[in-house]
Amino acid sequence: MTTVASGLEVSLAMSQIELDLNVVMPEILMAIFGMLLLVFGVIRGKNSLRLVSYGSAIAMVFVAYMVLNLPVEQENAFQGLFVNEWFSSFMKVLILMGSVISIFLSLNYLENNNMNRFEFPILILFSTLGMMIMLSANDLMTLYMGLELQSLPLYILAAFKRDNLKSSEAGIKYFVLGALSSGLLLYGISLIYGFTGTTSFETLSQTFASDENISIAVIVGLVFIISGLIFKISAVPFHMWTPDVYEGSPTATTAFFAIVPKIAAMGLIIRILFGAFADLIEQWQQIIVLVSILSMLVGAFAGIVQDNIKRLMAYSSIGHIGYALVGVAAGSIDGVRGVIIYLTIYMIMSAGVFAVILSMKKNDRMVENISDLSGISKSNPAMALLMTILMFSMAGIPPVAGFFGKLFIFQAAVESGLYTLAVIGVLTSVVAAFYYLRIIKVMYFDAFEDKFDKIQGKSLATIMTISGIFALCFIISPDILFSTASEAAQSLWAE
Amino acid sequence: MEFIAVFLPLLGALIAGLFGKVIGDKGSQFITCFLMVCAAAASLFLFKDVAMASNPRVLEIFTWISSGDLNVSWALRFDQIAVVMVFVVNIVSAVVHIYSVGYMSHDPAKAKFMAYLSLFTFAMLMLVTADNLVQLFFGWEGVGVASYLLIGFWNHKESANSAAIKAFVMNRIGDFGLALGIMVIFFAFGTLNFDEIFIRVEELKDLHLEFLGFDVHMITLACALLFVGAMGKSAQLGLHTWLPDAMEGPTPVSALIHAATMVTAGVFLVVRMSPLFEYAPSVLMFICILGALTALIAATIAVTQNDIKRVIAYSTMSQLGYMFFALGVSAYSAAMFHLFTHAFFKALLFLGAGSVIHAMSDEQDMRKMGGIYKLIPATYIMMWIGSLALAGVPFFAGYFSKDMVLEVAYADHTWFGMFAYWVGIFVAFLTAFYSFRLIFMAFHGKPRCDEKVMDHVHESPKIMLRPLYVLVIGAVTAGYSFKELFVGSDRGDFFGKSIFVLAENDTVAAAHHVPTWVAVLPAAVGIVGIILAWVFYIKCPKLPEKIANAFKWIYKFFLNKWYFDELYNRLVVKPLFCFGSLFWKIGDVKIIDGLGPNGVAKLSKKTADLTSKLQSGYVYHYAFVMLIGIVCFVSFYLFKFNG
Amino acid sequence: MIISTIVFYALAGVLILSSMMVITSKNPVHSVLFLILAFFNAAGLCVLLGAEFIAMLLVIVYVGAVAVLFLFVVMMLDINFKDLQSGFKKYMSVGGLVGGILLAELIVIYSSWSFSKSAPENIKFKTPDITELSNTEALGRILYTDNLFLFQIAGLILLVAMIGAITLTLRTRDGVMKQDVSDQVNRKREDVVKIVKVETGTGVA
Repeated sequence: MTTVASGLEVSLAMSQIELDLNVVMPEILMAIFGMLLLVFGVIRGKNSLRLVSYGSAIAMVFVAYMVLNLPVEQENAFQGLFVNEWFSSFMKVLILMGSVISIFLSLNYLENNNMNRFEFPILILFSTLGMMIMLSANDLMTLYMGLELQSLPLYILAAFKRDNLKSSEAGIKYFVLGALSSGLLLYGISLIYGFTGTTSFETLSQTFASDENISIAVIVGLVFIISGLIFKISAVPFHMWTPDVYEGSPTATTAFFAIVPKIAAMGLIIRILFGAFADLIEQWQQIIVLVSILSMLVGAFAGIVQDNIKRLMAYSSIGHIGYALVGVAAGSIDGVRGVIIYLTIYMIMSAGVFAVILSMKKNDRMVENISDLSGISKSNPAMALLMTILMFSMAGIPPVAGFFGKLFIFQAAVESGLYTLAVIGVLTSVVAAFYYLRIIKVMYFDAFEDKFDKIQGKSLATIMTISGIFALCFIISPDILFSTASEAAQSLWAE
Repeated sequence: MEFIAVFLPLLGALIAGLFGKVIGDKGSQFITCFLMVCAAAASLFLFKDVAMASNPRVLEIFTWISSGDLNVSWALRFDQIAVVMVFVVNIVSAVVHIYSVGYMSHDPAKAKFMAYLSLFTFAMLMLVTADNLVQLFFGWEGVGVASYLLIGFWNHKESANSAAIKAFVMNRIGDFGLALGIMVIFFAFGTLNFDEIFIRVEELKDLHLEFLGFDVHMITLACALLFVGAMGKSAQLGLHTWLPDAMEGPTPVSALIHAATMVTAGVFLVVRMSPLFEYAPSVLMFICILGALTALIAATIAVTQNDIKRVIAYSTMSQLGYMFFALGVSAYSAAMFHLFTHAFFKALLFLGAGSVIHAMSDEQDMRKMGGIYKLIPATYIMMWIGSLALAGVPFFAGYFSKDMVLEVAYADHTWFGMFAYWVGIFVAFLTAFYSFRLIFMAFHGKPRCDEKVMDHVHESPKIMLRPLYVLVIGAVTAGYSFKELFVGSDRGDFFGKSIFVLAENDTVAAAHHVPTWVAVLPAAVGIVGIILAWVFYIKCPKLPEKIANAFKWIYKFFLNKWYFDELYNRLVVKPLFCFGSLFWKIGDVKIIDGLGPNGVAKLSKKTADLTSKLQSGYVYHYAFVMLIGIVCFVSFYLFKFNG
Repeated sequence: MIISTIVFYALAGVLILSSMMVITSKNPVHSVLFLILAFFNAAGLCVLLGAEFIAMLLVIVYVGAVAVLFLFVVMMLDINFKDLQSGFKKYMSVGGLVGGILLAELIVIYSSWSFSKSAPENIKFKTPDITELSNTEALGRILYTDNLFLFQIAGLILLVAMIGAITLTLRTRDGVMKQDVSDQVNRKREDVVKIVKVETGTGVA
């Protein structure tokens, strides 16, 4: 090999790297912003929470803009480790928005509860970065790295109230179980790699499409991978951490947990199942159906006896994930579209509900029992009204937004012939409506006890108002979300 | 311009509804009225542009939903019939808004009332400008809700609440029909957009459907169901009992909703869907007969009623009957014409009646009025003009339109057309009779109220009278000036493509060639009716009582509104109630509740307890559950794979 | 060939045995020592496979750092291990059952193991011949070029771990005595020394 040729090769490789870097530009920017803000926070020391929060929010909005306006046409980068298509871009923008909302939700809470540390928004930022990488994963290795990058900050955030025993316990629990699930995931990946000799989604799907003789090891590997991922979206039977972690974590963290990571993990599940394992649909469909049924049942029934509203939201989120999985189980474009719509609506609704929960404060102390809401329709009529709309939406009662989410999901399920699933879904949503309606009943018909403190700052009130209005007015133009979701879902199929 | 006409009322409703407390009663009254007047001005301009200059258009706002076959947009369809409706709705609504400022001056919840009025107007505009059936349905339900809120506005009154509920329930029956009709249309045509439906009518006109062994003509089925919806909203015989009760609402509401606009929605629906109805002759025949019967029965009831608002309510129902039998003989333009003129004089009558009620310290019974014409001259004159128009006295608005309606019925030359014509002539007589009975009883004769009320009788404030002049102009001139456009030789240009009539059904054209007596008769019987009323109630006031005694059972029959309410009570409500309580006591409480809700509730509680017991809080328990889950999944697939 | 088989089974056997001892031995210090033994055996297996770099990593990182850290932690923390082990028997039956089933299933899976037909072409980075390229160099070549992206994410993960460790434990306390070198160096004579003329009999005020 002459030196000239190798020089040419090097320059070619360089330009390839440059192209690749352009594809991951949003992620790179995000990391750089994160590190800059970290340095800024460390240098400024105390009382930099507010500035760093604003900085992170601006950074994320900017990155979302970048995601939508990538300078390159190219979709793949780093020899197929990383891929961008409409689906991932849409989900990225969604989670970025969710993270921005979470940061604004958390500000006052952190300041008032002795957690005035600037690492909080930075951890959210890095976690979001992990999610973005997950959503663009086109290789089992990228998937795993992204997953770890998003999980690690979550463990820390759960334990963020370090002087509080419950919070530390939540952090440890989440960490230990999360490590176990990562172990399961890696085991599954190694089985798959052992059979096929590759970790790339594209090669995997080609292999499964061409090879008729699929070994049982692949199926078992798939089971392990799904189990590891399902832990992240807290579907039954991998849900046990959720109520404890939701309750124990500082409420600001819980809000973030409820709003963002599940959406990312759900997106990842869709990516891997419809990308790498599309031809094994008959195999994974059964597992998803089962998990979905169990999640809907547990989410509906266990929520009934809860008194703590954060715990209730944990069960509610389990139930909602169950519904979203119905769409995955449908295994069609319509199903995926339904999931996207469902998750978007769910994200905005949970943001509103957590804005309400974060404003539940009496005599300078945060309260989180459902009974604390009793009779607040008299002292805080606007908040009670918004919460009512949101609860109707969560329960899926027409004509508010939540109804459409469920409608599209069940429609997809019926079209794919999964009648049992749709019927169970409808029945469990009736059961689950019980606890949503109970909150409304408590707010409007129970004896008025104590007034809430005045809501500090504007962000909580703004977020809950926007969320409530969204839920109410969604019916006017569902098509904006609908057509975008259609495009996003189609991009997964387009080859 | 289109947006101004349609969305300003919504803006007004939002401002008055949400910020009523902030801007105060005066502020919200001013804002809603101002926006409404702007909208009315815009609709005047639109009427000129779209209808006079034949410039129909569709404005797409944005896509509502597009999923597979279902493609629906929010769009404003400003074609000729829509613009006629927008014109009527906005003008009458503006008048009513201003009138309400005076009428509701003693009410504590002014801002709320104005917000509801504006909301209603917006919903009505949505209905008439809809470009597809979904949007129409949205407006349809919207006016239903607004009507419910307004009828029950004085919710401290028991009767107002029950009237509101009655109106809502009756309308639900109609709405159910409409919803089914929309579904049938989507099933048959695969679209809900008017343009696309009308294009496909030609090819699908012979579409039949095998259903439970019956062979059903698709378009007939769809039209029949749509007409059930129209019946509910327009208070046609069978679903009419809510309309008189709805008079419990404040009088401006009655004028706006239950005379001029909402009740004509059924007529509008049939006109809008005329390309479909043309291919469903049997439905048209049914509409014609039902319309004639409604006109007759309502008129006979009106003759015996003593509540001033109820008389006008029944006359509204009767006039709606006229419109429907005109529709039944494919004379859509004649029906639109009558709708147009009727809106003016009926709103005028209602608002005049409101003024009378206001003057009489909220007395509505005509037997307790009388002799007040000198005290409230302006109101008196307006009531005269309204009644003359209603009675069809020549050269007032009602004369032209009613004449036309009757002529087309005659010109149809079918047995049901003839039936409608003769019934219509008789009803025209009754109409003249009862409207002047109202005038004579309320204004003439000796005062029959106590002195305290009599001393208090006063002309209404200017804010209530001034807007009525607009309606007076309409009631006097609307007939003469628009005759040529609506039903004359210009009607083809005027309505353009918005109305579709098969060539062989063109009764409006045929109506110009009927014998002279056919055209003269309605006005003649009208004048006879007026004279008879004069004889009965001025000349020899004892006569009515004698006649009532002589034909006691007929009188009672009419007075009790043909016993419709009682009939429904006996036939529908009571049996249902019995069934209901039977089911409730045995079926529901014992079986369903026992096994159902209560049983399920118990079971749910148990399940819930169990799941939370599993939630022990120990990490190793959780990890263990995860492992068990994995083992179960793997075992499942091993068995499946090897078995 | 036979020798390598024998070595494999020996290493694997000891590995399994020592890992079992890790979880069963009563004394936690013994547990950690068995863990170290397990690491060594795993490293041996890696060497057998020709992955000497990974074997060295295992020994240096896990044995040299992690396991020794464990040892210190176990010895420094005063944990009552009797209590921790009390549940052992209670869960042994169910746990043993689940574990047994899982083991049986995995045996079934591995006994029917087969590679995909396309597996040989699928492998992206084939292990180079040892005579051409050393293991370390081969790893380095793909780690810093083709898998640069993943490598950087790994860096970010470590950064996050660091942030986490600091944010959960760092406390700033008042009254802590500590040496600040720059303060010491920058200190001037005038700031700290004051010369006072003391008159006899009065003392320093």
